Amino acid sequence: MVLGRKTIANRLSRYVLLISAGLLLVVTLLVGIFSREIIEGGSTEIAGKSLDLAISDIEKVIGEVERAVDNVDWFVQRQPGNRKFMYEATRELVTANPNIIGSAVAFEPGYFRGERWFAPYTYVDAETGEIRSIQMGNDSYDYHQLEWYRVPRLLDRAMWSEPYFDEGGGGQQMATFSLPLKDTTGHFFGILTSDISLDWLSSRINETSPYALSYAALVSAKGIFIAHPDSTRILNMSIFDVAAESGDADMLAIAEEMVSGKKGFKTFHNGERFAVYGPLSNGWSLLVVNSYDVVFMDIFLFNLWMVFFLLIGLAGLYFGCRKVIRRQTMPLVEFSQAAMTMGKGNFQAMIPEVKTKDELASLRKSLEYMQWSINDYIRELKSTTASNERYESELNIARGIQMGMLPHNFPEMTGCSLHAMVQPAKEVGGDMYDFVDAGDCLYFMVGDVSGKGVPAALFMAIARAAFRFVGAMGLPMAEVMQRVNNSLCDGNDNMMFVTLFAGCLDRKKGTLTYCNAGHNPILVVPPEGKARFLQAKPNLAAGLMLDFPYEEECIPLQKGSRLILYTDGVTEAERADMEQFGEQRLLDWADSLNPDVSAHAAMLSLYSRVKEFIRGVAQNDDITIVSVLYDN
Amino acid sequence: MNVKINEEEGKAFVKLEGRLDTTNADQFLKDITPLMEGAQKEIDIDCTDMEYTSSQGLRMFLMLQKTVSARGARLMLHNMKPHVKEVFDITGFSHIITIL
Repeated sequence: MVLGRKTIANRLSRYVLLISAGLLLVVTLLVGIFSREIIEGGSTEIAGKSLDLAISDIEKVIGEVERAVDNVDWFVQRQPGNRKFMYEATRELVTANPNIIGSAVAFEPGYFRGERWFAPYTYVDAETGEIRSIQMGNDSYDYHQLEWYRVPRLLDRAMWSEPYFDEGGGGQQMATFSLPLKDTTGHFFGILTSDISLDWLSSRINETSPYALSYAALVSAKGIFIAHPDSTRILNMSIFDVAAESGDADMLAIAEEMVSGKKGFKTFHNGERFAVYGPLSNGWSLLVVNSYDVVFMDIFLFNLWMVFFLLIGLAGLYFGCRKVIRRQTMPLVEFSQAAMTMGKGNFQAMIPEVKTKDELASLRKSLEYMQWSINDYIRELKSTTASNERYESELNIARGIQMGMLPHNFPEMTGCSLHAMVQPAKEVGGDMYDFVDAGDCLYFMVGDVSGKGVPAALFMAIARAAFRFVGAMGLPMAEVMQRVNNSLCDGNDNMMFVTLFAGCLDRKKGTLTYCNAGHNPILVVPPEGKARFLQAKPNLAAGLMLDFPYEEECIPLQKGSRLILYTDGVTEAERADMEQFGEQRLLDWADSLNPDVSAHAAMLSLYSRVKEFIRGVAQNDDITIVSVLYDN
Repeated sequence: MNVKINEEEGKAFVKLEGRLDTTNADQFLKDITPLMEGAQKEIDIDCTDMEYTSSQGLRMFLMLQKTVSARGARLMLHNMKPHVKEVFDITGFSHIITIL
């Protein structure tokens, strides 16, 4: 097993990782979606609350201003004609109320001893912070014509002015609360004012902004900005200007709702931003604008963190899984090593113990069983091999005995010479030859027992013994064959048989007497002229039929003639392409033979011709050659 | 060696195909056991597609002949290829086995 990338631990861990990652991705998405919805709903609420907070904050200031003015009014009513008190009253208003940056009490023409203008004014100097009091009515500042004086007088009620830039005392953006002064008879005699700075308002209302980048703006009853983070807009622009500039219908709707004193919530800027707005008691309206981007930035960051931690978690899961699985599958590695050891031939290799009772345990059981089986098989194989070896060695001994029965000495004889050979095939066969030199006659034979193996060898031994016994008696050829046949037929239930060619060369008469019991025709090679197969009555192979009437034949034989006896191992020798040596090649060989060679050399020549023909192909049958030369 | 045996009305028609040599002689003997143990009166063996027989094969034919003769039935081989017939002739088997 390789402890690299392709381990089970790695693969399983990867699967676990993939599945977990997929599930967590889905969970993250769902959490993202739901949290977005929750945040969206919450944001509306938060914005609404912050609006309410800011409104109540401003209302408090406005209320304080209005109450302070009301209180002073009471005192002013009780001190008619007291010039000094008027200065003090305004000074009192400014010093006692940090929200009030200026205060004036302006009287009707002629109210104070026929003076056309009398308007004590106390203000906080915007540059120095000093509190100063002046009388502000004169030719160049005819306050009776100014809005803060004229409108409340005309409408006969306290009211807040539209915001304006005061060039007189304060020198800053402000809005003025004007209260008409009336005597006990209800006669109007002047206006009491208090100014509040708008700069202050802007910072005050933006203190409470619920989200980063959100902002609050205050507009007057006409929609003009009273407070706005961008101070250039204050007094210079109305909310309608902004709406018209952007061309956003939603924003226009917001502007209209605001100036008509309604409270509400609306998205605008293609739904990317949302506004909450609500009226103040003095006719102003407060607007809080938030951006969803900002609102969702948090949730985005939250999700980002979540993904980050999930990734860390997944990495931990992966390595943890891998470690656990690796530990759990450790026996597999050990099994693999044990199997490898067994594969190398050590069948006693220890199979590692498994503590668990799972598939690994059953695998171990299988391995154990396999090991047991192999060892058992080896034991059996060893004993089989041993008995096979014994059997084979016995066969070899049998083969040796069989071959030993054939004559291997070819003594010098007068008038003729004989050489013979059997080249056995791998399997024990039943080829045989023999010869008996008896007086003038040389008896010789070649035979081939049917079948192979031990039965053939045994049968051959019987045949050869019979021939040896009968051949030495000096009987006629047919008689020899009949006796051999009869002795073979005796008890031959298995229908074994032997094809036999037996001949007798009479050196004195110069004749060949022969009898063929079903064997291949032998070759006669005269000293001059072509070789030929000796025509012979086939009779019947020996061992088959008791008392078969074998017939012998006789031909004169020229001196210098050769006789070549052979078995079908020669003519049926097969080369790789299944072509057999055949009778024609045998004739060709005989014709090409040098007439002067000895019987021995002729035999070897034929054998080498056959070997050359089959060219290394395993010999499938015994090759037996008997070479006889009849000479002087 | 392929052996096909058809039986009709007490006659067996046998078809032999291929080579009969030492390696498959035992199998051949098993294949023809029904003929040896059967009761057919006539056994007709078609040797058209028989390519070769070894001496071991000859022995099988001989054993068949012997058992068939013993129960008084007839065995006939026919359409033998010349080189196969030659083996039967050389060994003298033609004397004891009917070859048509």
